[in-house]
Amino acid sequence: MSSQGAARRSYSDVLGLAAWASVAVALYLVFFVAREADISMGGQLQRIFYFHVPAAWISYLSFAIVFLASIAYLRTASRRWDLLAHSAAEIGVVFCTLVLITGPIWARPVWGTWWQWDARLTSTLVLWLTYVGYLFIRNLSTDGARAGRLAAVIGITGFVDVPIVHFSVQWWRTLHPSGPTVSNPAADSGLGGAELAAFFASLAAFTLLFAWLLSLRTRLGRLADRVDSLAVATESRNPAEPQRVPARNPVGEAT
Amino acid sequence: MRPSGFLAKTSALAIKDLRVELRGRDTLPPMLAFAFTVALVLAFAVPELPATARPTKLTVALAYVEAGFLWITVLFAGLIGFARTFEVEREEGAIDALLLAPVDRSGLFIAKAAANLVFVACVEAVVIPSLALFFAIDLGAGWLPLLGVIVLVDLGFVAAGTLFAAVAAQTRSRELVLPLLALPTLVPVFIAAIELTADLFLGAAFDDMAGRGWFAILLAFDVIYGVVAALTFELALD
Repeated sequence: MSSQGAARRSYSDVLGLAAWASVAVALYLVFFVAREADISMGGQLQRIFYFHVPAAWISYLSFAIVFLASIAYLRTASRRWDLLAHSAAEIGVVFCTLVLITGPIWARPVWGTWWQWDARLTSTLVLWLTYVGYLFIRNLSTDGARAGRLAAVIGITGFVDVPIVHFSVQWWRTLHPSGPTVSNPAADSGLGGAELAAFFASLAAFTLLFAWLLSLRTRLGRLADRVDSLAVATESRNPAEPQRVPARNPVGEAT
Repeated sequence: MRPSGFLAKTSALAIKDLRVELRGRDTLPPMLAFAFTVALVLAFAVPELPATARPTKLTVALAYVEAGFLWITVLFAGLIGFARTFEVEREEGAIDALLLAPVDRSGLFIAKAAANLVFVACVEAVVIPSLALFFAIDLGAGWLPLLGVIVLVDLGFVAAGTLFAAVAAQTRSRELVLPLLALPTLVPVFIAAIELTADLFLGAAFDDMAGRGWFAILLAFDVIYGVVAALTFELALD
C-alpha cells in the first residue's frame, strides 16, 4: 500500500516537474520568440491564441476521458474509474471556463463584439453547461455511491450530445448569413515556424499540466476516501461516544 | 388475463401511471394551466405588425420569436411535468415495488416515457391552438407537417426528459436539477424545432423545409437518445 502510494507520488512529482518546465519553455516561446501577429488578428493580443486553443483541447480531452471512464465505471463499478471521471470533469470545466473567458477577451477588439453565436462558440458553451450540470449531480446527490452512477449517466449522455449540438448550431448559423462569419484564427493568420513552435510547446505544456493536475486530483480523491473509511472505522469502534464537533453559530456570535 | 409479453407489461405500467393521474389529477391540470398562463404572458411581448403579402425582414424575425415562444412554453411545461415522473412512487415509498415489476428495466423506461409523452401531447394540444389564436397565425395547409415536427420533437424531448427526471429524482433540489440537465442537452432539438416551426409560420413548402436537414437532426437525436436512455435508465434507478 505505502510503496504503491510512494511510487504514485514520485510519478506525480516527475509529472509536476515536467509540467512546470514545459510551461516555462512555452511562456518564453509565446512571449519572446513568436512574432507579433497582424493587426487584423489582434496584434499582441493574438498571443492569447496560444492559451485559448490548448485550453480548448484540454477541455475536450477531459470530457472524452469523463465519457470513457463513465462507461468503464458502469461496467466494473470500480471506484478508480469513478474518481477518474470526477477528476477529469472538474479539470475540464476549469479549462472550458478559461476558453470561454479568453475567447471574448480576444474577440472584443478583433471582431468588435464579446460574443458571436458561431457554431464553435455555441457548442463550447453548451458543453460547459452540460458538465457544470454533471458536477451539480455529484454535489447534490443524496448518497455517495449513487452519485457516481448518476454522474456516469450524465457523463455518457452529455458526450453523446456533442456531435448533435455541433451539427445543429453549425447549420443554425450557416443558414443565417446575417452578421460577420467567424474564421478559424489559425487558418489564415500566417503562422510561421516560430509561431507554430510556440503553439506546439504551449499545447505540450497544457497537456503535461493537465496530466499532473489529474494525478493530483485523483490522489486527493483517494486520500479523501481513506479519511472517510478511517472515520467510519473509529465511529464503529466507540459507537457510544459519537465525536461531537462544536457547532459554530454565526448568528449566535452577534448576540 | 395477466399480461405476459414485454409490450403487454410495458403498456400495463404506462396505463397504471395514466390511471393514477386520471384519479389524482396532480400533474396534468397544473401543467396545462401553467402552459396556458405562460402562453398568455408571452403574447404580451409580441408586437403587432402590419399584414403583408410577402415575408419581410420583420415578419421573418417575428415568426422565429413566435416559434421560440411556442417551444419554450412546451419545454418548460413539459419539464415541470417530467419532474413529477417518480413523485407518486417517492411519496408512497413504492419505488422498490416498481423496480420489482417483472419486466426489463428498458420496459420501465418506455412505460414512464409513454406516460410523459401523453402529458406533453396534452400540453401541446392546449398551447399550440392558444398561441395560434394569440399570435393570429394561420397555418393553412401547414398543420400536417407541423404535426410531424411535433412528433419528432416530442420523442426526443420525452426520452431525454424521462432519463434526466430519473437522475434528478435522486438528488436534493430535484426541480432545479432537471432543467439544468435537460436544457443544454435539448439545445439541438430546440433549434431544429424553432427553425422548422418558423418555416411553417412563414408558409414554407414542405419540400423546402425537409431539404434543410433539420428533420435529420431531430431524427438523429430521437434515435440516439432513445437508445442511450433505454440503456442507462436502469443504472440511474437502482
